[in-house]
Amino acid sequence: MIPCIESGIPGFDELTRSNDGTGGIPENTATLIYGPAKTGKSIFTNQFTYKGLTNDEPCLYITTDNGYKQFKNTMEEFNWPIEEYIDNNSLYLIDTISDISKGKPSQSESFIQSYINNPTDIMVKIGSGVHYIYKNNPRFRSVIDSATTLLAYNENMLIIRVLKAYLMRVNEAGGTPIIVYTQDTADSIIETMSKSMVDNIIRVDGEKLYIEAMKGIERRSSPYQITDNGIVIK
Amino acid sequence: MINIQSGIPGFDQLTVSELTEGGIPEKSTTLIYGPPKTGKSIFCNQFTYNGLSNQEPCLYVSTDQGYKQVQRDMTDFQWLIQNYIQNQTIYFIDGISHLSGGKFENKNNIVSSSVSNPADLMVKVGIGTRNVYKTSNHFRSILDSLNTLFAFNPDQMVIKILKAYLRRITEAGGTGLIAYTEGITDPKTENELKSLFNNTIRLDGQHIHIKSDHPDFDEVQYFESTYTITDNGIVVNENNFKNIN
Amino acid sequence: MKKTHIPKLDDFLGGGIPKGSSILFCAVPGVECEAFGYQILNGIIEDGDKGFIFTNVTEPQNIIYEFSKYGWNLEQFLEEEKVFFVDGSSNFMGVPPMGKYSIDELSQIEGVVLKAIDDIPDGIGVINNLSTLLDYLEENKIIEIIGKWNKRAREKNTILVYIFTKWDYDPKIIENIKNSVDNVISLTSIEERVIIGQGFMVTSASWTTPSKNMVLFFVLQPGGVKIYIPKILVTGPYNAGKTSFVKSISKKSVSVERMAMEKFPTTIAMDIGHVDHNGFVADIFGTPGQERFDLMLDVLAKESVGAFILIDSSAPQTFARAKEMIKKTQSEAIPKIIVANKQDLPGALSPEQIRKTMKLDKSIPIIPTVVNENIGVEKALDAF
Repeated sequence: MIPCIESGIPGFDELTRSNDGTGGIPENTATLIYGPAKTGKSIFTNQFTYKGLTNDEPCLYITTDNGYKQFKNTMEEFNWPIEEYIDNNSLYLIDTISDISKGKPSQSESFIQSYINNPTDIMVKIGSGVHYIYKNNPRFRSVIDSATTLLAYNENMLIIRVLKAYLMRVNEAGGTPIIVYTQDTADSIIETMSKSMVDNIIRVDGEKLYIEAMKGIERRSSPYQITDNGIVIK
Repeated sequence: MINIQSGIPGFDQLTVSELTEGGIPEKSTTLIYGPPKTGKSIFCNQFTYNGLSNQEPCLYVSTDQGYKQVQRDMTDFQWLIQNYIQNQTIYFIDGISHLSGGKFENKNNIVSSSVSNPADLMVKVGIGTRNVYKTSNHFRSILDSLNTLFAFNPDQMVIKILKAYLRRITEAGGTGLIAYTEGITDPKTENELKSLFNNTIRLDGQHIHIKSDHPDFDEVQYFESTYTITDNGIVVNENNFKNIN
Repeated sequence: MKKTHIPKLDDFLGGGIPKGSSILFCAVPGVECEAFGYQILNGIIEDGDKGFIFTNVTEPQNIIYEFSKYGWNLEQFLEEEKVFFVDGSSNFMGVPPMGKYSIDELSQIEGVVLKAIDDIPDGIGVINNLSTLLDYLEENKIIEIIGKWNKRAREKNTILVYIFTKWDYDPKIIENIKNSVDNVISLTSIEERVIIGQGFMVTSASWTTPSKNMVLFFVLQPGGVKIYIPKILVTGPYNAGKTSFVKSISKKSVSVERMAMEKFPTTIAMDIGHVDHNGFVADIFGTPGQERFDLMLDVLAKESVGAFILIDSSAPQTFARAKEMIKKTQSEAIPKIIVANKQDLPGALSPEQIRKTMKLDKSIPIIPTVVNENIGVEKALDAF
């Protein structure tokens, strides 16, 4: 039996239900969610993050697309308030983008600044982040949103190595990581490499969500909608 | 020519021909490739487990997953290898765990190496082949997979490592199975890669294509069928067998 | 002259290595090579000089750990600023670099290493690994860089040690690299299906005519490079029973095989043993029978006092090969004994028949044996 954690996406855990009755995201495995731009990938991972937080599963969140403020606002739009989790340090946020815009928030124990064009620094912060979270709860979630931006700012093969190291670290500590990637933004070698590194692959195209690969189950798909409460799978 | 059991239900039946009895030719080298997530690692692990349960030792070089993870992945399919680790039927070279930070304590038959240090990797392969060869002069040798090697080394270097590795295990009488994800190098490198093997197996998620070019035979043999990944591993579907010779 | 701190190597090199010279350790893939560079560095630092390690294969932290496994305290040398790193690995892996210098781009390597050489006059620099560098740069470029480094090292009296793995390169490239250093030491594998031993041998040295002897070595943790000089060789065609013979004449059970496999799993073990018979004490080594080993047999025999040549009495088709092997060792005037093994098998030829078939001189004893049952083994030893 493959133990799963709740995705938080209505319909997803049913869609991924296996013969032995479990459904959701297989615990302690790595997932890639990809698809064209604006198809709900970030919403999916935010929903996944929020579900974890409300279940006492902390989250190591690496944001490369939206600074802290924007991230918080986006979450609130869907009625997923995260302030409390930032305060109690169960959301460990590595913000690699805010320094570019103005109004840099100050660092705290679980709010860490890094730099999108410095993967080495990001890896160091991830290392201490994993350590920090693991200490409190070995059952945790982790999100990188998104690999696309990391790839855009850095040498691609270096990012592949960094992502590999990230997955190894989170995995070793017992966490469940998800990486977001926008389809066709890197060359096909990099895209294939990224897919080969993870256990599960989810693709969204605006209309349907495809489980292209998942530990313990065969390929599946279902239409989905983006509602005021996030993604809902029919 | 002697064939060994693959351990994959249906595979050995599929590969029967006028020339061979089916299975994987002993002491040959096989590249298993295909798009991501089509069951290549499962195939490798199933092949490994079949060997172990037949008292055939295994040299397992893992560059994608640490040894704990590989053990866990195998446990998902009820392929329990703890005993084989303990009685040293398996020799495990873990080329990736060092990336996750923690210190790695080498044991007799579980040793660490690094995907970015090919010279060290080959030293460990040298020790490993000797170790398994001492137990049995026919053994299985897995390399799962070339992907991470390609991420950490220039393409031509990986080809060189692979050549040295294949020479080492072939010399010792091992049967090699090496996994590779299609599309992670340019087509030229990919062709060069395929040319280094006696056999290739391609998995695309639905179909299995086997090409066997054994030096003992004049002709290349092709087999194909469909397959399913079940709770017990890969099963090759017997009603879709095709022998295209 | 400086000592290399590798046993026997200083003798081969006429006392050691001159200041300012460059050494290339050229290893067959699968042979332990890093330990040589690290051991020389450790020894020279302990002698009071300074040094650096350039790495492009692993992060400095791992090298510190490796040193500690050998029983050498690199950490302390680093603290005391006797050694520093030129870190050409970390940035490439996305981990924070460590050391005095780090490299972000390949184009910096040349200059950074030159600076490092300047920093340690009279010291030692270890470059691990030259082949990895070769994979990223053009061949001509690498020869040019080695030339510049060596020139600077000569000016500064700094010794440079290059670790190089002889992958499947164009032989011309390897030749060119060998020609651009003062001293080449080959690290070879001794193989029979698998690696059964490792040997080193000086191939060239600009300051002396090195002795062309080969020494077997293994690498211990702790301990580093240890050598093994067999006094008796056991050879013969494949499957003649060499390994069993080595085992059965070895009185002491301190087989390095077991020691190495159990306590020091990182090293490559060897088919070696130790004879203690009627007051005659000697180390023995079972050498492979393939033709490509013949050259090595010759250099290895230089240090030995005798040889057993094993033959499978029931396999006359292998006699020609055995005869050839006797000839190969003929140049070395050492006593040879033919061990006619497998006398119990159907079709086994008697010693007289063997002597006739192989046209062997009366002076070479032929002892009938069944090694697996320990029959005739004592006699074979007495024949010496």
